[in-house]
Amino acid sequence: MISSTVGIWNYWIVFCLMMIGLFLVIGRKNFLKKIVGLTIFQTSVFLLYITFGKIKGGTPPILNESINTIYSNPLPHVLILTAIVVGVATTALGLSLVLRINSEYGSIEEDDVSAQDLVDYHDDIETGKKLDLKFKK
Amino acid sequence: MISELLINAFLVTIMLSIAIALIKTRTVIFTVILTSAYSLVAALMFITLDAVDVAFTEASVGAGISTILFLAAMAYLPKKEEESISSEFIPALSCIILGGILIWCSFDLPEIGQLTAPIHQHIAPEYIKGSKENIGIPNIVTSVLASYRGYDTFGETIVVFTAGVAVLALLEKKNPAKKNKSQPKRKIRKNA
Repeated sequence: MISSTVGIWNYWIVFCLMMIGLFLVIGRKNFLKKIVGLTIFQTSVFLLYITFGKIKGGTPPILNESINTIYSNPLPHVLILTAIVVGVATTALGLSLVLRINSEYGSIEEDDVSAQDLVDYHDDIETGKKLDLKFKK
Repeated sequence: MISELLINAFLVTIMLSIAIALIKTRTVIFTVILTSAYSLVAALMFITLDAVDVAFTEASVGAGISTILFLAAMAYLPKKEEESISSEFIPALSCIILGGILIWCSFDLPEIGQLTAPIHQHIAPEYIKGSKENIGIPNIVTSVLASYRGYDTFGETIVVFTAGVAVLALLEKKNPAKKNKSQPKRKIRKNA
């Protein structure tokens, strides 16, 4: 009974962590916080995968001499190794986007940025300038 | 066996509290430190779940390089997060609903650590059996990463290269004085 509850408990916490990450992404207006949310979400997905690969009484998948060893599943480990490195690459890209937004708008709050965009849009309409959908340089 | 699972449950609970602290905090430096701590606890989790390679990659890359990147970016950004004007009710509600659905679905997932789970049936036994003869490396993760699924790793390097190029393109130091001079000139010519 205890073992079965604990067995599913891990999944529940992982799902809660995912939802906290998702909330940071869609609920918070600060761009840096959004990227932190993405990182949290990513790490919890890694946890989910590694949890799938675990075998009770297994050892890490490094071959040893004895025959009757149970090895945990190596395939999720490989996938997650790749995903960690790709995750850092996306984090770096997101952070450089945030830095660029900060240098263009002087703020990394979504409300400020969209307010500035709205003001520019209405200015363009009032002056009758031809609207181009390109980002403001 | 149960003690192992209890350690797991303990560590994920620590992770949960770190994540809740992340929602509460509004200071950027605390956010960065908590993210780093989160990655480190995740690395501990990976060790208890038998994924030693993933654990040290997470500790070095996830907790190390990510934190350095965040700290480097933080130096140029505002130090405080502003309180949002709009309500956070709808995002929170949708997250809670989605989480509830996921937890409801989790009853169909195989229990952690069962040898009969579908994931352990398909191709992993072949990798474990063949690793010694085919490749000759004792570490199965390495042999799968570099040999059986080498194309994945190749694709990964392409992704990292693309991200690097994109970062360079975004952070390119433009000469602001030169640009401001050249743009009005063009406009003047058009008006004339």
